Amino acid sequence: MGGLQKKKYESGSATNYISRNKARKKLSLSLADFRRLCILKGIYPHEPKHKKKVNKGSTAQKTFYLLKDIRFLLHEPIVGKFREYKIFVRKLRKAYGKGEWGGVEKLRENKPAYKLDHIVKERYPTFVDALRDVDDALSMCFLFSTFARTGKCHVETIQLCRRLSVEWMNYIVASRSLRKIFLSIKGIYYQAEVLGQTITWLVPYQFAHDHPTDVDYRVMATFTEFYTTLLGFVNFRLYQTLNLVYPPKLDGKGETELRAEFEEDYAMDSESYLEKLSALSASLARVISSAEDEEAELDHFPVEGDDMEKMEAREKAQQEQDRQKKLFEGLKFFLNREVPRESLAFVLRCFGAQVSWDKSLCIGSTYDVTDETVTHHIVDRPSLDKQYMNRYYIQPQWVYDSVNAKMLLPVEDYFLGVTLPPHLSPFVEEKDGDYVPPERLKLLALQRGERPEQDEEEDEEEDEEEEEDDDDDNDDGEEEEEEAEEEVKLKNMEEKRTQGKAVSAKVTPGKAKQENRQRLEQEEKAEEKRLAIMMMKKKDKYLYDKIMFGKKRKVREANKMAAKRKALDEASKSDRKKKLKK
Amino acid sequence: MAAARRHRLVAASQPGFLPLKADLDGSGQTTGRRKRVNKNKKKNWNKYSDIQDVEEFLDDVRLQERAAGGLIADKPDDSLFFVDTGNQKSVPEPGGVGKKGRNSKPLRIDLILQPDSRIAPPKDVLAHQRPNAKKERRIAQKAEKLAAMGVLPRRQKLLRRPPAAPSVKEKPVTSKDPERNFYDLWSAGGPETADLYYLEQTKKKLVKRPEKLNEKPSVLPAVEVIAPGGSYNPDFFSHQALLLEAHEVEVQKLKAEERLQRKLAINKADVATEMSTFKEQIEGLVEEEEEPNPEAEQVADAVDESVGSAAQREKKTEKQRKKEKAERMKELQKKAERKMIDSRQQLFKLRSISADVKEMAQRTRRRRVQRKARQEAQKSLPRRLGKLKFQAPDLDIQLSDEIPGSLRTLKPEGSILKDRFKSLQKRNLIEPRERAKFKRKHKLKYVEKRAFREIK
Repeated sequence: MGGLQKKKYESGSATNYISRNKARKKLSLSLADFRRLCILKGIYPHEPKHKKKVNKGSTAQKTFYLLKDIRFLLHEPIVGKFREYKIFVRKLRKAYGKGEWGGVEKLRENKPAYKLDHIVKERYPTFVDALRDVDDALSMCFLFSTFARTGKCHVETIQLCRRLSVEWMNYIVASRSLRKIFLSIKGIYYQAEVLGQTITWLVPYQFAHDHPTDVDYRVMATFTEFYTTLLGFVNFRLYQTLNLVYPPKLDGKGETELRAEFEEDYAMDSESYLEKLSALSASLARVISSAEDEEAELDHFPVEGDDMEKMEAREKAQQEQDRQKKLFEGLKFFLNREVPRESLAFVLRCFGAQVSWDKSLCIGSTYDVTDETVTHHIVDRPSLDKQYMNRYYIQPQWVYDSVNAKMLLPVEDYFLGVTLPPHLSPFVEEKDGDYVPPERLKLLALQRGERPEQDEEEDEEEDEEEEEDDDDDNDDGEEEEEEAEEEVKLKNMEEKRTQGKAVSAKVTPGKAKQENRQRLEQEEKAEEKRLAIMMMKKKDKYLYDKIMFGKKRKVREANKMAAKRKALDEASKSDRKKKLKK
Repeated sequence: MAAARRHRLVAASQPGFLPLKADLDGSGQTTGRRKRVNKNKKKNWNKYSDIQDVEEFLDDVRLQERAAGGLIADKPDDSLFFVDTGNQKSVPEPGGVGKKGRNSKPLRIDLILQPDSRIAPPKDVLAHQRPNAKKERRIAQKAEKLAAMGVLPRRQKLLRRPPAAPSVKEKPVTSKDPERNFYDLWSAGGPETADLYYLEQTKKKLVKRPEKLNEKPSVLPAVEVIAPGGSYNPDFFSHQALLLEAHEVEVQKLKAEERLQRKLAINKADVATEMSTFKEQIEGLVEEEEEPNPEAEQVADAVDESVGSAAQREKKTEKQRKKEKAERMKELQKKAERKMIDSRQQLFKLRSISADVKEMAQRTRRRRVQRKARQEAQKSLPRRLGKLKFQAPDLDIQLSDEIPGSLRTLKPEGSILKDRFKSLQKRNLIEPRERAKFKRKHKLKYVEKRAFREIK
């Protein structure tokens, strides 16, 4: 046996990883710069499988990177820019110290700058890749755009974020791709479907900021820097797909409408255009002014069998989507001043409504409160002094719930001063057997097109609910009942057979047996199922039993929840009655 | 001109020439031995012929021309001399005295810059040329022809060109500029379209990104939607479910704290009593009478014996050896036989063995599934990326009495910035860190100010 003796930590995982400090030294960057570079390039730390081996026998917790990643970083042109910037800062400090103001100015003029375009291209080789990753970018941009310009981060960053988020909202409005909204205690979650990708983002409520101290602002600013670049390019491409002009421009009609007298009072000239865009009340200019809503219909191909069904299902879904897109079309809304204007304007415009607000509230209002054609007036206060006859006064939740339900909900539940029904999360998808709150059940029924009778008497409502509950019970009880019935039948048969000898043969006139065909079919199916269960292998049978057990447990839990709910409702009702009596 | 120059030179060579500078009267000439050099080479003509006197003389001539407007020798005496008739009162300068006069006086710097040479500037050569009618005609004809073709002369072209924008140095585009413009990044002709060899040589080719970087470090979605109980106007049960979740988290925290407290609690047996302290103090002072342990001694003896016996072991006899060998052989044979029988017996145990094997296989399968499931679950868990572990943020929740009746009265809970930051940590994009603490290099020194001390 010849050869050299193998040494420890000279091959394998020990050489595949590199600690953060070593990587930093290899790149000759400061820790802050190294961190920034890693974020921009999308290089993240790794946890090695065998830490002790990688750490050369030590068990100290360290941050590791893959060596190949760091080698890749060595070729990045931005590294040079970072070094230049470091030198620039040093020179500037020196000039300041010496009081050479001319020198300071000169240095400032030649401040080194870098772009991230090539990194975006490198990290997302295709547009779809970028679109998939845009969630983060959106949340961050919307968050940063609401920051106060107080020096927590650069003012330019805030401005850029604002611009990009406004552009994004305008795109969503123009393409009508919003799908779900959820008002949470944290912020507003939006979900849109853009070019086949589902994109979710979170928007903070206005004026909801306390700056937490345990967040590293530098890291967040670096992420934002990259994400703004990404979002800018994504926006450009998206605008192109809709033939919209980029940077966005209001179309001629909208522009003239929006020219108000108070424009100068409202915003500076440099900012007023962005403000008008962000008002979202006018449509955007197109590169080629096409006929409005030129909709491509699905092509029909003759197909057979399963594909046909699929096609039909798809077509149906498409139609439903189209219907949803025009949910608020033809309606005219007016926003009172206490409702969240931006969010509501965005949502309403996304579904084709016309929106306006008070002139003093924001730029870009198109009609007045006194307009007779207003159909819905959104108010969020207990009462209103002056009310018009020909419009609904509703609370803002109606808009969001209608969008989530994909239909116009009855306005009665959302009138002024009425206790609102709960705002359910559209992001929850119930499987069969889960507990479903009664409000949701009602909504599902509405969607199916059943219109529950809106009687004032509570008892009837209650009955309905009970019936629904009963239905639930029936679902799981049915099988057992069937089995019992059949057993009874069999018993009778057997009895007859045993008694057959004793019973004298007797011919009775035959009765035309009324065969319930449906019933028969069902029975047949049940029989088949039972046979299939009997024929199962032991292993499969075990699994099957387990699944059935799980299902039953779920049903039981759901029943329990429903019972609890009923009890709660009753209790609250009796409370109310007592109060009334008092 | 040339004639005049020659005349001047001739004049200067006359014996009556007056040099302006004092040292140019021939007396300054060195009278050392001249170095002898061959004069048949051109190089030597230049190098070893002394032309300094000529140069100086010519310089002087030029100076005279500049300063006096000609050679002094040529000037009439009247222009050079005047009769001194005593001290003449200096005439005050016209133009007033005082401030005004001072103002009208030219600045010294202007005076310095004024030409002081007496030589007239050379005349314009072109002024003497007569216009060439033929040439001009031809030029005019050409211009007409060009004008007919629509070509403008250069001067007019320059005039018509739009005034160039004032050349402002273009600032390099930064990624933070709010006015920056974007373009179609994904369809723009990238550097890949150019020649590969050229790109390589000019170091413009980007290095290929490692394939592994395209994997996401976590399977978690970028934006995790809050549970339905987190609605601003939640359904009763989902709200209760969320509350329960938050409650459980709190209970866990309390338990951990209690455990810590229990561990840190002082054991009552360890507390020093009067007795124990006294014992400690007199340690070693009082002789304790303890009987030597008889058992320990015995053990020591036994050890001694065994060592001794090993040393004194005798050699085995031949007979003993043979006997031992035979025994060993027998043992081996027995073992082999036993094995044979066992294996033969196994044939009858085939069923139980196969059951065992089956069970074993099942166990491995089960374990494999478990391992895989664990690995899957780990993918969504935050990894340990640094000194600190990931700390899940507190659940954002509003108690039942905090739930607002309407959107207007909603008080947002938690911070989205923190939520985003924690999400980044949870998805293994950044390592959890503690904020760097401020360390003071030098100790602070407190000094009472004098004024303050006096009042006190």
